[in-house]
Amino acid sequence: MVRAGAGCTPVDVDGGGAMKSFELNTTISNRRNLLESDLSPFDAVYLGNIYCRLYEQNFLERLDDLREGIARVKEAGLKAYVTTYAAPRNNFLPKIRKALEVAASVPADAVEVHNLGVLRMAHEEFPGLKVHIGGFANVYTDAGAQVLKEYGAQRVTPNYELSLEEIDELARAVDVPAEILVHGKMPLGISDYCFLLDYEEKWGIKCPTLCQLDLFVKKDGWAMRSAGKGIMSGKDVCMLEHLPALLRSGHWAFRIEAAYETPAYRQQIGQVYREALERAMADDSYAAEERWWEVVRAHAQIGLCNGFYFGKTGMEYLGVQSGALASFTGRPTAVD
Amino acid sequence: MHRVTLLAPAGSPEAADAALRAGADAVYVGLKGWSRGGYRGELTRDELRETLRKAKRAGKTVWLAANIIPRPAERAHLVRELAGLADLGVDGVIVNDAGFLREVKRTFPGLLVSASVGCGALNEGDVLFYEALGADAVVLPGNLDPDEVAAIKARVSIQLEVMVHMVQQFIQLGKCFMPSYLHFHPTEKEEVGLRLTGSMKRGGVGVCFKVCQEPWDLYRDGQRVDRRLFPAQQVSRLADLGKFLDAGVDIVKLQGRSLPAELLALLVRRYRAAIGAWEGRRWFEPEPAALPSMWTVVGR
Repeated sequence: MVRAGAGCTPVDVDGGGAMKSFELNTTISNRRNLLESDLSPFDAVYLGNIYCRLYEQNFLERLDDLREGIARVKEAGLKAYVTTYAAPRNNFLPKIRKALEVAASVPADAVEVHNLGVLRMAHEEFPGLKVHIGGFANVYTDAGAQVLKEYGAQRVTPNYELSLEEIDELARAVDVPAEILVHGKMPLGISDYCFLLDYEEKWGIKCPTLCQLDLFVKKDGWAMRSAGKGIMSGKDVCMLEHLPALLRSGHWAFRIEAAYETPAYRQQIGQVYREALERAMADDSYAAEERWWEVVRAHAQIGLCNGFYFGKTGMEYLGVQSGALASFTGRPTAVD
Repeated sequence: MHRVTLLAPAGSPEAADAALRAGADAVYVGLKGWSRGGYRGELTRDELRETLRKAKRAGKTVWLAANIIPRPAERAHLVRELAGLADLGVDGVIVNDAGFLREVKRTFPGLLVSASVGCGALNEGDVLFYEALGADAVVLPGNLDPDEVAAIKARVSIQLEVMVHMVQQFIQLGKCFMPSYLHFHPTEKEEVGLRLTGSMKRGGVGVCFKVCQEPWDLYRDGQRVDRRLFPAQQVSRLADLGKFLDAGVDIVKLQGRSLPAELLALLVRRYRAAIGAWEGRRWFEPEPAALPSMWTVVGR
C-alpha cells in the first residue's frame, strides 16, 4: 500500500489499479493532548474544543499553541483542521476571527464551523480557507446543505439525528461529501452553562479539571457523558461492522470522536479503525476481528450504539456480530 | 422610537382570543402536524381559520409556527400546503431550517418569514446570515443581554425578535438531541398519521418528554455522587424590557403555547403594560416584582 500524500490512505480496491482513499480523523483539544497522542492511525486532526472557552488550554484560546499545533500535525504528514465554537455569542467572535487568521496564515487545511455566523465570517473574510460544516450546524436537509455549500462548505457532518439513508440522499443531492462519526461519544447538546461548576466547592476540584473527570449521568438504564457545557452519548457510537456499507455508499471521511478521551483511547481505537478500513477496502468478505472487538469493548465503559444511522433510537445497537455486544446490551438486533 | 410588536403564543383559539384581547399585536400558532410544540398546542385548520378571522377583524396578525424540519419529499408537500394557508390569511411563518426558509421566502415573497429560536442564532453573524437568506426577522433567546442585542441590531437591517419569556433549558434551544438518543415514541396516537417522521427536533413522531426535568444520578469514576436535575429556569425579562426596546428589539415574543387562556392573558397584559410605559417614557414597576410560578412553562 502506498501513501499518496498527506491526509489520505489510498488502497487499491480491486487490484485493477483504481485507487480510492479514505480519511480517518480525530479531535484534540489542546497542546498537551496533542503531545501525548500517537497520531499514527490518523490522516487528519481537528484542533480545538468546541464546547467551552475555559477548556484547559483550549487551542481556540491560545493562538501560539494553535499555530504550533497546526505545524506539528502537518509535519507528521497529517492534515490539520481548526474547529470553532459550536454556540458562540457576540463576544466570542473577535477570538474566533483571530483563530481563523492563524488557520489561514500557517495554513491549516480547513476550518470546521458549527455556527452559521462563523461560516459567514470564514466565507467573507477568509475566502481561501476550506470549510467543513460540523454537526451542531444542524444540517438536516438537502436544502440546508445546499445553502451552506453556496457559502463555501466543502464537507458536511450532517446532524447526528440523520439516518444513513438520509445522509446518502443529502450527499448525493447536493454533491458534497459527508463526514461520518464512526466511533466515539456522539454530541447530544451544548449549553451556555456548566453545571459541573456546582461541584468545585463540594469536591475541591476546580475548572478546568472538572470536565476532564470520568463523569456520567444515569437514569433508568440510560447514560450520558457530561462534559460540563456539553452532553454526549454514554455509549460509544461504533460502526466497526458496518464499514463496508459506508464505503459502498461512497463515504470516505470518518471521525473518531475523542475530545474527552484518553490518548490511549485515541490511539487504540484509531488503530482498530485504520486496520478495519484498510481490510474493508481490500476484502469483500470483511468481518471485524475479535481482537478489534476486545479493544473496542475495553474502552466502552457503558456500551456501544449505532447512533441514529439505522433510523432507530440513538442508543440502540444493530448488528450481527455478537462480539460487539458480549458484555453490554444483550442480544444483537439484525440490521433491517 | 420604533414600532414594537408584542407576539404572543396561542395553543388554542381561546388562547389566541385571550391574548389578542389582552393586548398582543400578533399571535403565533401551530397547525396540527406542522410544529414542534406537540399535539396539544396545535390548531386544526378550522380553528386556524377562526383565529385568523378574529385577528383580522381586530387588525392583528397571525404567524404560523412551521418549525418542523421536513425531508425533501415532505418539504414539497408542505410548500404546497403553505400556499393554501397564505391564501387563508396567515401573515407570517416561523421556520427552523435555512434551506426551508429560503425556499419559503422565494416561493411566497409576500409572506413574512422568521428564523425560529430553534435555528440557534446567538450573534450578529447568525442574524446577518439569515438576513442574506431572505428572513424578515430572527428570533434570539431571552438569556442574551440587552447590550448584545444592541450590538447585533447595529449591524442588521431586519427585525429582531427576542423571546423574553421562555424556559432556558440546560441545553441551548435547537441544539438538544437527548430525547431521541434515549427514546422515540409518538406523543399521541392521533399524531402518528399527521406527523412527519423523525425526532422531536424535527417535529416528527418523537417527543421531547422533558428528560432534562427529571432527576439524574451523577457518577464520578463509577461511583454515584449526586442526584440532580439539569438546570433550567424560567426567563422573564420584564424588568429589562425597556433596555431591550432601547436596544432596538422589534418584536417582543413570549413562549408558551401550553399556557391556558386565562394565564396567557395575564402574561400578555403585563408585557403590554411594560411596552406602553416604554413608549410613553414612563417608569414601569412590574407588579408583582417576581413572576408567579403558575406562569412558568417549566415542567409543562
